[in-house]
Amino acid sequence: MIPARRFARLGGLLAAALVAATLAAGCSSGSGASVTITEPWARASSAMAAAGAAYMTIENTGSEADALIGAASPAAETVEVHETVAMGSQAPGASAEGGMMGMQPVARLEIPAGGTVELKPGSYHVMLIDLTQELKPGDEIEITLTFEKAGEVTVTAEVRES
Amino acid sequence: MHSRPRPAGLGLRTLAFILAVAAFTAACGGGAGPVSSAPASPASSPAPVATAPPLGVRETAYDPARPAPDLRLTDQDGRPFDLASLRGTPVLVYFGYTHCPDICPTTLADIRGALRLVEEPVGVVFVTVDPARDDAAAMKQYVDYYQAGFVGLTGTEAEIAAAADAWGVAYRKLDSTAAAGYAMAHSTEAYLLDAAGQLRHHLFFGASPELIAERIREIAG
Repeated sequence: MIPARRFARLGGLLAAALVAATLAAGCSSGSGASVTITEPWARASSAMAAAGAAYMTIENTGSEADALIGAASPAAETVEVHETVAMGSQAPGASAEGGMMGMQPVARLEIPAGGTVELKPGSYHVMLIDLTQELKPGDEIEITLTFEKAGEVTVTAEVRES
Repeated sequence: MHSRPRPAGLGLRTLAFILAVAAFTAACGGGAGPVSSAPASPASSPAPVATAPPLGVRETAYDPARPAPDLRLTDQDGRPFDLASLRGTPVLVYFGYTHCPDICPTTLADIRGALRLVEEPVGVVFVTVDPARDDAAAMKQYVDYYQAGFVGLTGTEAEIAAAADAWGVAYRKLDSTAAAGYAMAHSTEAYLLDAAGQLRHHLFFGASPELIAERIREIAG
């Protein structure tokens, strides 16, 4: 007869094995990759402007982490993902709100499994460099985002004043 | 400073900010920085709007008001400009640069939104921290786009450095591999002056058009 305690340990092992199997299944196929993009919009901008910006919410509905690794749009020659960040300031009292803010390119933006990453003013944004057209309020532009696992996803972003 | 969005860290962030302002007030009496040790709490601010979720404190008041530093540079038409010429109306002064895709357009759009909410004429002065790329023509193209009568100021590197110093604005060039060329890090506050040219409010990035409009009405009334 197997003691109850050993039974419990076996059960625990079985559960762990099941979890591992499930995780492995999620990793081994592409079916676990899935991103949903909501509320894409681009800020109205003159065609002469050095750069425009687009924002959206990216949700990873899949069971594995994914990452945004590239972007393109017919509305711009080059599209990059950037992050606006608080920069170290020598000024006393510097803070995210009161200090300097700068910008850095983001080559790989991780979207955790089941997680959501918001691209919004003052944070992550899609930078539209060398616009090929004026972005007029009410216009719609296409942006194709490339994800490590989910591949290419094209969204239609509405142009808004703010 | 941790730069990732921290949706749950609002309380700590706000507290840290208030402490930082208090430390600043204690340590620094010079420049154009705020002298108030009692920034308005988020609770006393107008209801946040959907486009500008609260990230923390959005403003400090100058109490008492104090004369704004001089600002004499070159406007978007290549003419000499003196901030004193705008006496008689409230004025918003903001430092940025035209290659700025996120912070500056967001702030200028919020300011334009505020101007649409108020009856009073308001002067808006956008000063570049990137004179190497922002000549008068670049400033003209940039401010004219907003069709809101904004003034765009540029000058020599030395003139811009002196103006930024007088206003307590920090900026520096960032090395970048981005296709758009280099970016600038810069202070992102807007300064609200009353009709007498006194500094009254210091508005941080993310201050909503409603909040900016309310402050304009207060100082105009």
